[in-house]
Amino acid sequence: MTSLAGAYSSGSDRPEKAVLRIGFMPLADCAPLVMASVLGFDEKYGVKLVLEKQHSWSAMRDRLTSGELDAAHALYGLLYGLQMGIGSTARDMAVLMNLNQNGQAIVLSRTIAAAGVKDGAGLRALMREQPRRYTFGHTFPTGNHAMWLCYWLAAAGIDPAGQTRLVTVPPGQMAANLEAGHMDGFCAGEPWSRRAVMEASGVLAATSGQVWPHHPGKALGARADFVARHPNTCRALVAALLETARWLDASPTNREAAAEVLASPAFVHADIELMRACLVARLGDQPGLRFFGEGAATFPWLSDGMWFLTQQRRWGLLREDPDYLGVARAVNQVALYREAALLAGVDLPESAMRSSRLMDGRVWDGSDPAAYAASFAIHQRDPQPVVA
Amino acid sequence: MIDCMKRADPSRSLRIVVVTSGDAQAGDAALAAQACRSTALRVGLLESGYDIVASLPPDIFLPERIAQLQPDLIIVDSESDARDVLEHIVIATREARRPIVLFTEDDSAATMEAAVAAGVSAYIVAGLRAERVRPVLDVALARFRREQKLLGELADTRQKLAERKVIDRAKGVLMTRHRLSEDEAYGRLRSLAMNKNMRLAEIAQRILDVEDLLGDGPTKGSA
Repeated sequence: MTSLAGAYSSGSDRPEKAVLRIGFMPLADCAPLVMASVLGFDEKYGVKLVLEKQHSWSAMRDRLTSGELDAAHALYGLLYGLQMGIGSTARDMAVLMNLNQNGQAIVLSRTIAAAGVKDGAGLRALMREQPRRYTFGHTFPTGNHAMWLCYWLAAAGIDPAGQTRLVTVPPGQMAANLEAGHMDGFCAGEPWSRRAVMEASGVLAATSGQVWPHHPGKALGARADFVARHPNTCRALVAALLETARWLDASPTNREAAAEVLASPAFVHADIELMRACLVARLGDQPGLRFFGEGAATFPWLSDGMWFLTQQRRWGLLREDPDYLGVARAVNQVALYREAALLAGVDLPESAMRSSRLMDGRVWDGSDPAAYAASFAIHQRDPQPVVA
Repeated sequence: MIDCMKRADPSRSLRIVVVTSGDAQAGDAALAAQACRSTALRVGLLESGYDIVASLPPDIFLPERIAQLQPDLIIVDSESDARDVLEHIVIATREARRPIVLFTEDDSAATMEAAVAAGVSAYIVAGLRAERVRPVLDVALARFRREQKLLGELADTRQKLAERKVIDRAKGVLMTRHRLSEDEAYGRLRSLAMNKNMRLAEIAQRILDVEDLLGDGPTKGSA
């Protein structure tokens, strides 16, 4: 501890809870949480992160809602799914900040690639020529990877609900299933996507940064009541993570240092060269893993939260249009983030909405979400009951 | 059911599927512990007379097999990475006639917490009320807890023994290399461990690893 420890957390701003139990999944984008703890940015703001590795998103969700975990590295879409009660009891959740952008990928099997398929259009042609059941893996039904995969397939004119079989597969099993011919492709995060490509288990079809340059990634999630009862703690936590995100994007040397830490069995437990590649080298020609982006990558954009709701509506996970803006305003803790950003000296945008252009040329800026959700030619807004 | 299968305790006609843990790779303590828990649970259920229709590995075929078997109850280790796969089934079947409901959403919070604490979480197939499932799990869990406690004690003893051996060997290395007495060697180990903020056994293992790499062999001992 340096003499600076706790310097930013004196007086009435003192964190209500000093020791925080934080869940993380062994993925490259857990870097901000791990490095905040390793570099001591947490203690600078008067909190101490106790990191707890999780083995499934379901277990993480249960621990977050039961109060075993105070906050977690969570799929953005999972937090919104939980807020809306998709597949479980609805719980009021909070997104404190976005933890990363980009850094996920869609990988196709070598068999598919050998048939000359390089992209979505090629896949669509192959599926017409050789009709059979095509299977694609993702990591959680309401999660980001499911959304990138569906968006990418549909952008190529493939109906993911009607023309493919989608399965949830633990990321560590993706490459093996691809090689064994059980799957034709998958969407997952680093290091799993990268490893499959580096070890030639599969072929890169698209990075997530190609589907949506600088898309929202994992979010820092907590229960809404926890945030309400611990505003100082949460502000300190976000400020510490903002400093860490800035450090991560400051230089390739910092990224390399982070890669070495992350490779350890305590965290991602992966080959060090693989982790270095994930954090330093770009996969494909689109933007790679980004943590800070001068505060643009960390901001809890309302339009980002709403986007997940529009896609959950599009694919029938939501049966009706929610109050998109109302839900996003309740979940994304913009006011608290602003306070933390001032504390950490991070730039703030004027508006809580941003404009993005996705791979199919469609622009999403948060305006008229119900119309946006209804505007896709390929959708499953009124799904037939499915039997498992 | 009004057939010869009818028994006194209706909960005993439940069709139970246990999702097993993946192959425990050497050195992966978490997986090994999962495998132990999973075996103990199965033994507990079987000995209590429950019908396990299948033990399924957590692979890509799990959803299809579950669809074929139509179990009433799926038991999975709460630490299993197959839980997200089951979550997919929960969501995919939520509008169907037999939706799968997460057991932990029930109001029986105490049972749920006990189950989770014991490393088990259960998913109930629809139509089946929690009241019917509870006795099943209660029995299984009671049995399971006893097993787990025994297993835990056994593993603990084993680990302590193994660590003792490693520390003794590292002490031996320090004694030969640096001509230290046994007490001095132990003191050296302890201060190293404190300075590096590591456990004694970890620092001892590191010394042995370095010795394996750089040493000329004879200190390797009887591993």
